[in-house]
Amino acid sequence: MTMRILTAVVRTIRNSRRLAAGLIILGVMVLLALFSPLIVNAIGNGKDPIEVAAYEKWLVPGPGHLLGTDQFGRDVFAMVMKALSVSLQIGAIAGIISTVVGVIVAFVAGYKGGWIDGILSTFTGILLVIPTFPLLIALSAYAKNVTLFQVGVMISIFAWPFAAKTIRSQVLSLRTRPYVDLARVSKARDLEIIVTELLPNLLPFIGVGFASSALGAIFGLVGLEVIGLGPGGVVDLGQIIYNAITTGALTLGAWPMFVVPIVLLTLLFAALNMVNIGLEEVYNPRLRGVAGE
Amino acid sequence: MTADAPPVVVVDESQDSAPPPSGVRVWLSRHPLAAYAIRRVGLYFVELWGALTIAFFFFRLIPGDPIQTLIQTLQQNYMYNQQASTELIARYQQEFGLTGNLFSQYLKYMEKLVLHGDLGPSLINYPTPAQDVILRALPWTIGLLGISAVLAWIFGVILGAIAGWRRGKLGSAIATNLSIALSHVPYFFVALILVYIFAYSLGVLPARSAYDSNITPGLSLEFIGSVLKYGLLPGLSIVIIGTFSWILSTRMLMVPVLGEDYLVYAEAKGLKGWRILTRYALRNCYLPQITAFGISLGFIFNGNVLVEQLFNYPGLGTTLVTAIQQLDFNTILGVTNIAIFSVLTAVLLLDLLLPLLDPRVKYWK
Repeated sequence: MTMRILTAVVRTIRNSRRLAAGLIILGVMVLLALFSPLIVNAIGNGKDPIEVAAYEKWLVPGPGHLLGTDQFGRDVFAMVMKALSVSLQIGAIAGIISTVVGVIVAFVAGYKGGWIDGILSTFTGILLVIPTFPLLIALSAYAKNVTLFQVGVMISIFAWPFAAKTIRSQVLSLRTRPYVDLARVSKARDLEIIVTELLPNLLPFIGVGFASSALGAIFGLVGLEVIGLGPGGVVDLGQIIYNAITTGALTLGAWPMFVVPIVLLTLLFAALNMVNIGLEEVYNPRLRGVAGE
Repeated sequence: MTADAPPVVVVDESQDSAPPPSGVRVWLSRHPLAAYAIRRVGLYFVELWGALTIAFFFFRLIPGDPIQTLIQTLQQNYMYNQQASTELIARYQQEFGLTGNLFSQYLKYMEKLVLHGDLGPSLINYPTPAQDVILRALPWTIGLLGISAVLAWIFGVILGAIAGWRRGKLGSAIATNLSIALSHVPYFFVALILVYIFAYSLGVLPARSAYDSNITPGLSLEFIGSVLKYGLLPGLSIVIIGTFSWILSTRMLMVPVLGEDYLVYAEAKGLKGWRILTRYALRNCYLPQITAFGISLGFIFNGNVLVEQLFNYPGLGTTLVTAIQQLDFNTILGVTNIAIFSVLTAVLLLDLLLPLLDPRVKYWK
């Protein structure tokens, strides 16, 4: 079983260069994040490079400090590494929560149909059109000193409708397939049909749901942080950009402080989007070649 | 939603023989467009009510006491030293609609909003009503956001159509891959890079505010020129990223159309490529993009908050952030409600206009 899934995954990746590129970029970032404590230690050479006044203030990039230091004399490269790991964790936590909620809502709505579907879909639709950013800002204004996990939960409140919408439309098209009818005729229970018949066929779309809600979550937190209204105690890449703006790194020409986080986040968004489009291309033959060669 | 909704209009087969039992149903079955419009408008009101209600309860259930904040502000600003009397607090609570339980607050808020268009007093600019604060900021946001969003849509649809048309060529591949990479980047990032290059490094364009403060606002050429100059960087950042995301989606709609028989026919007739592209191919794929434009307004608003904040632009986004920092509930809710209202109304209007633009669109199947 595991082997079969593994070979299927490998075949999928082989079929789409775009998916492969996205996954490779993501993989490199995850590796960097995993090894960030080691990297930070190596930079510090025994002491903490992110400590206030660890080095001189506003050092220009050089061999000792690849990206220079900030207004408190902290090593920017070490800060960026640590923040990258935080941003990725937020994406993973919020992505998983939103995907689980989205899958449950999508299955209940799409499989049951009728008035339940009507209510759930209208509700999802409403959440999709509400500009959620004001709500997110307001929520985070009261979330001082929260843990990373709580921030993830907070952001997934607004990220799950995207996953739910993508998956629901697939459930709708799958539930009338002959093999589902066959399972139903042979008196399989609803839950059994969902787990054994529908879920395996939906995995790629669940992957799309995960990638887009993770993207939305990282995007949302960065948005909060860059206007200085992020939840307290969480230092992600957005927070570094915010620091750069407020301390006048732009006027001082300390470009690494904001260019590096921006480039990293842009790469991350690009990779997630490539995974999304790659997966859809492979599993939705009508789209094949449509999104680009 | 519309795809799987049960058919509302049932064709009355007993039309000729017996007089119909209900006149309304027959009228609806004879006027399918009207039936569709009624159903669509009904859905609009349900969505609008739902969204406004969610927003109201969301902001009321968040902890924080706006009256205490107001008293504190008063104490700071007017040397108001003694403890605020209970009477004073009660009066403010009355004015801000914070008396009674949550549900009666909700009814009162909705009544004022629906019947009088009143959002309650604003805290940051007390006693100016929140709607006045919002109306002051609204033209700036509509000007910046509206123009940039429309420009991005036009550029994106045109470039996307060309990218689809010339698929397989190098330029098209570059445009497509760039769009995939950049379509989900926050406007804010582009804005920051633009500010760094044009405002700080080159010093040619202003980085803050919406117009030169030395010029008095008015309908003078000088003022308009200043507004345009100051709006260039924030607008450009929205246009750049917006264009990329429209390129991608237009291309996705365009490519399947290119395989259609009528395009082969048009080519066989000897029509020029440009004419086939604009009159045959593009006309069949720009309509879904019109609907998508309405839906995208909400997301553009989200991104616009950050851009306005960066440029200190006096629009709704900046108002919203200030209001949140000061716990000004009436203004926060007001801005959110305006955004909800404009997105839902835009989608409704586009849905109702679509059958007029495209004779193939039939909702009453």
